[in-house]
Amino acid sequence: METKNLTTESSLKIIAETMERSRMSIAKNSGRPLILWGCLVAVTSVIIYFLWSKTGSPLWNLLWFAMSIIGFICTIFLSQNSEKTPKNEVSRILGKTWMWFGLFTTGFYLLIWVAYFIMRACYPEASISVDLTLVITLMMGLCGVISGVVMKMKSVVACLVVATAISVVIALVVHGPAQILVFAVLGVLGLVVPGLILQGKVRNNNLAA
Amino acid sequence: MEEKQKTFKPLDPLLHSELRLAVMSILIGVNEADFVYIKSQTGATAGNLSVQLDKLSAAGYIEVEKTFKGKKTCTLCRVTDKGRNAFAEYVETLKQYLQIPKV
Repeated sequence: METKNLTTESSLKIIAETMERSRMSIAKNSGRPLILWGCLVAVTSVIIYFLWSKTGSPLWNLLWFAMSIIGFICTIFLSQNSEKTPKNEVSRILGKTWMWFGLFTTGFYLLIWVAYFIMRACYPEASISVDLTLVITLMMGLCGVISGVVMKMKSVVACLVVATAISVVIALVVHGPAQILVFAVLGVLGLVVPGLILQGKVRNNNLAA
Repeated sequence: MEEKQKTFKPLDPLLHSELRLAVMSILIGVNEADFVYIKSQTGATAGNLSVQLDKLSAAGYIEVEKTFKGKKTCTLCRVTDKGRNAFAEYVETLKQYLQIPKV
């Protein structure tokens, strides 16, 4: 790029192209974590489904915490090995949204388990019925849609809306160990596919540049 | 019929240059960016980019901060309020030239 003077049209073109290239370069780093977490969520839900079905114990759901730790370590490894890009408002909002989703779901999950054991100890006859899968599905869908809207990617929003709708219907209809497979649907349709779309768009943008 | 003469504001000469405009377009969208990132996004040579960053910095459009990342030096650039206003004014003037109605 030289320091030559410009026409008004080429000035606007430079502004638009540079901003878009920079935006896509930053968005590139958002695609990989989506794919990583989508795969982790899908694989974990399938593993929990099999173990829960075989043993009949819902305690296998504690594997979600192991998944969170693995995912966290992988995310750090991924960020250290990916191209360093500056932070903009979009990346800041995405980071905060998913961080709060993680904190909120973990906290909510722990709270429900603690409440469950206390209630079992104090009132053995009482029954607690909280559809955690449905709550987490809706929260995950909402965070995904916010991500798509912030990144101005309609295809990502559409994917998340479809994935959430399918998952909510499954969560309402199916109960027991099979209900956990909702997260496999949400992981693949709601995280892996949007991540691949994002990566594809960045690649096309780089080729066009 | 008396035709109303339209007067255009002159474009800011500091921004009306390909590389400096590209640098400002990058910095306007991020909190801060390092020299390596700006260089990779603009495709400019290190020497040329350095000269243009100095010009923008001397005009008060950007702030340049030299820090260390481990043992390597790191030049961080961020746009100032003056630079932000100048860029907004530049875009408005461009729109006038191209007769794009204000949104």
